[in-house]
Amino acid sequence: MTLRKPQAFLKKDFLMETSYRFSFFLQFGGIFFSVVMFYFVSELIGSAPSVQQSLSRYGGNYFSFVLIGIAFSNFLSVGLGSFSSSIRGEQMMGTLEAMLVTPTRLSTIIISSSQWSFAFTSLRVGIYLLLGGLLFGVDFGDANVIPALAALLLTVIAFSSLGIISASFIMIFKRGDPIAWLISSTSTLVGGVFYPISILPDWLQKLSYLFPITYSLDAIRLSLLQGYGFANQEVTRDLAALVVFSVITLPVSLVIFRYAVRRAKKDGSLAYY
Amino acid sequence: MSETVIQTNNLTKEFTKLRGISSPRNFFDKVSFTAVRGINLTVSRGEIFGLLGPNGAGKTTLTKMLCTLILPSDGNATICGYDLARQQAQVKASIALISSEERSFYWRLSGRRNLEFFAALYGLSRRRTRQRIPEVLEIVGMSDAAERRFQEYSTGMKQRMALARGLLAEPDVFFMDEPTKGLDPVAVRNLHDFIRSQLTSRGKTVILATHDLVEAEEVCDRVGIMQGGRMKAEGKVSELAGDASLSDFFHNLIADPEKKS
Ligand SMILES: Nc1ncnc2c1ncn2[C@@H]1O[C@H](COP(=O)(O)OP(=O)(O)OP(=O)(O)O)[C@@H](O)[C@H]1O
Ligand SMILES: [Mg+2]
Repeated sequence: MTLRKPQAFLKKDFLMETSYRFSFFLQFGGIFFSVVMFYFVSELIGSAPSVQQSLSRYGGNYFSFVLIGIAFSNFLSVGLGSFSSSIRGEQMMGTLEAMLVTPTRLSTIIISSSQWSFAFTSLRVGIYLLLGGLLFGVDFGDANVIPALAALLLTVIAFSSLGIISASFIMIFKRGDPIAWLISSTSTLVGGVFYPISILPDWLQKLSYLFPITYSLDAIRLSLLQGYGFANQEVTRDLAALVVFSVITLPVSLVIFRYAVRRAKKDGSLAYY
Repeated sequence: MSETVIQTNNLTKEFTKLRGISSPRNFFDKVSFTAVRGINLTVSRGEIFGLLGPNGAGKTTLTKMLCTLILPSDGNATICGYDLARQQAQVKASIALISSEERSFYWRLSGRRNLEFFAALYGLSRRRTRQRIPEVLEIVGMSDAAERRFQEYSTGMKQRMALARGLLAEPDVFFMDEPTKGLDPVAVRNLHDFIRSQLTSRGKTVILATHDLVEAEEVCDRVGIMQGGRMKAEGKVSELAGDASLSDFFHNLIADPEKKS
């Protein structure tokens, strides 16, 4: 397969996004505020022994812990939300039909439709880490980047599958997708974004093991903050869990999406909204 | 004997949906509406086939079915020998749809950027795209306006862009759903000339849905008149109408109370 079509999507979405100049820049402003806010939160609680003890797995520093949590959970929201929002956007604009008459595979269309969101999110996450490192003294000196990138790639695939399932809902019901909402709220609650899962009651910890974000954040924190690599059992366990999750959900999500498009073609509702 | 490009066999579309919230007690009852009924159509290579009929007759539904955008509920069809249901990829590679749906572009992008995007989706190489875009812009007379945002175009300019997009890939079959809607008379004439001199003379086949009976009379080799989802009449204009004009024939056919559905 060539990358010609995916690249065309990326370019088109980049041009569309940057045509709204104000909003484009505004999206960076929020990063600064949330980083500063969590800096003060960690000033408040970071030196408490109980906090440091709960975070010992990741080196004990709350600010660097939460920085990675909020930065990388951006991928969760993008993975879950961007497929459905771009499909809905194309449906509303009426461009979905125009795409579907071209000899382009459905999987190419759905996967390509979110590239820009992921590229933009990577940029934002980079800025989070940069701000944390440069202005607030988070130490990434020992970071082991390769396993973190592997975890990131698997994370993107895992979250995307969920996002494609959510897009399938939107395709048929046009609005009100329960899946994305449920997964995103539960993931934030139990996945260890703002606090380590070790402080959760036992049953919530068990629940957290069902969500890919738990493994993503664990692997990324272990490799970026502790410098662990593929030799570390915890890291490989996380990566293996993400692989299993992706291998199952990605094909399933594409099948569901194909079904959703079929349904819309049956109803003649490809251009409805 | 001429080669058959489009063949439909009892092609039918019945839309069904749940009654839903409009009648809560019968929420799960199905309501159905048959937009296209049992169409048997044969179109040969190089033909211009006109689809006529009043609003709601089923022209767009039929066209979209043949473009894989709507699934038939019954019957089947082949396009360039490919099965509509089972060989969608090959069907799509053989067709272009030019509709009057102006929403089908990215309004915030320029005409050229839109064409670049769709050229990629049609599988044109970068090189071919660079060659082809100026050509199609020239054909539709939009070379000078290509850099302007789509949202700034007038109705007719948008329609010209739809034509330009449909011409990008040079497939075998062109489905045109009211392609002259909003075009000025000169542009209409140019389109007609273009269809004859560049498309059908080169073995391309055109299905043209239109409300303009003069247009149909002038350019179409054969026409089909639809009403209530049925094909009420079909044939060469001269054979259908005899000595009368197509317009008279059309009005008589549609107004016939007995045949009205
Ligand atoms: N998705 C749909 N669901 C239910 N009914 C539909 C749907 N699409 C079209 N119809 C109905 O099918 C009939 C045929 O519609 P269609 O758009 O094919 O007509 P048309 O001949 O193209 O009309 P026009 O000349 O106005 O463009 C109409 O009564 C329309 O309401
Ligand atoms: Mg129509």
